[in-house]
Amino acid sequence: MDLERDETIERAAQALAVLPPSDAHAVARVMAAVRAHAARRPNRVALVVEWLRQPSLSVATAGALAAAALVLGFFSRGAFRNAGSDQSARATLEGQPTGEFAIPTGTARPASNSQEVRAVPVPLVFEARTASRVVVVGDFNGWDETQTPMVRYGTDGPWTATVFAKPGRHVYAFLVDGSTLVADPRAPRAKDLDYGGDASVLMVTPP
Amino acid sequence: MTEIDPSVPSRARRGDEQAFLEIVAFYYPRCLRFARNMMGNDQDAEEAVQDAFVRVHDNFRRFREDARFDPWLFRILANRCRTLLGRAKRHREFIEYGEVPLAVASAASPVEVEEVFGADWAEEVRLALETLPAEQREAFLLRHVEELSYEDMAVITGAGLSALRMRVKRACDALRIRLTEVEQRNGS
Repeated sequence: MDLERDETIERAAQALAVLPPSDAHAVARVMAAVRAHAARRPNRVALVVEWLRQPSLSVATAGALAAAALVLGFFSRGAFRNAGSDQSARATLEGQPTGEFAIPTGTARPASNSQEVRAVPVPLVFEARTASRVVVVGDFNGWDETQTPMVRYGTDGPWTATVFAKPGRHVYAFLVDGSTLVADPRAPRAKDLDYGGDASVLMVTPP
Repeated sequence: MTEIDPSVPSRARRGDEQAFLEIVAFYYPRCLRFARNMMGNDQDAEEAVQDAFVRVHDNFRRFREDARFDPWLFRILANRCRTLLGRAKRHREFIEYGEVPLAVASAASPVEVEEVFGADWAEEVRLALETLPAEQREAFLLRHVEELSYEDMAVITGAGLSALRMRVKRACDALRIRLTEVEQRNGS
């Protein structure tokens, strides 16, 4: 027993020790966030594949880089020592070709412009105690009922799923037991009901 | 204080998602209690707890299976609370340069707040707790609310045993003075 734990401290500790009730919804929300975060983590193999797919490594760009490297090689070995001064070589290297040794300059597209916009994982939580099956349908999965089934926490807890959507505005809904479309009560209601039922709006911002 | 079956963190460490869910369900109330008491509001507390579980999941491979899970989890949670408290403090300082919101203005005058919440012991305790420096508050909560040993507290906070004992003592002294005044005022 601690000497400092007298009656006042005991009462204070008791007041602070009241446990919040178990909250299946909060647990589901945490699990959805964990899954979304895990999905967002870069996979090293995927990064290498992505790098290899970069259009910035196209034949034209690679050719321009090779040509630049060749000319730089000539300069570094003094091949043009008689024709150009060190000053002109420096000017060329800085992208201001002199009249004598003009380097063909190709404008490589910046990588950021050529990258595809990546989908962002978004956790969704939906409460439907009596449902036996819930799937997420939306424009991000082509309204395909087989793409994003939701997983239930416990036997009567909320349903969770992580969808992947590109930055921008999306419309989605929950399809309950294969027949009823229900809008997400936590999200703004969509006015464009092109799937024939209630739907919600999901605004995805770039990561 | 009950701890989870040690086989559950082991299974979660090996990627068993059901085991991880068991961990979240088992520890969520305790984690939320600690975070609420540390942060003083539900929104920040829920954010801290969620962040902590995300980090636990991310770093499970670093968890040694022969170690106890509780101190490891609370170490991560306490770190998140400290980080978010620092952010909240910076935000408060920023607000105070401009228009002072009513809630902040009220909190700045504890006597008035006490008059409003005078009858509510739990609220009085929370107000008293908020006046403690964060490291004393943390030490008090780990020792007297989470009922952890000083050895576990050392793992969680990274502080030495004597420093922790001093923090707990100072926290108790400060709380005792403040709460005794409240008790006297309320005639209890």
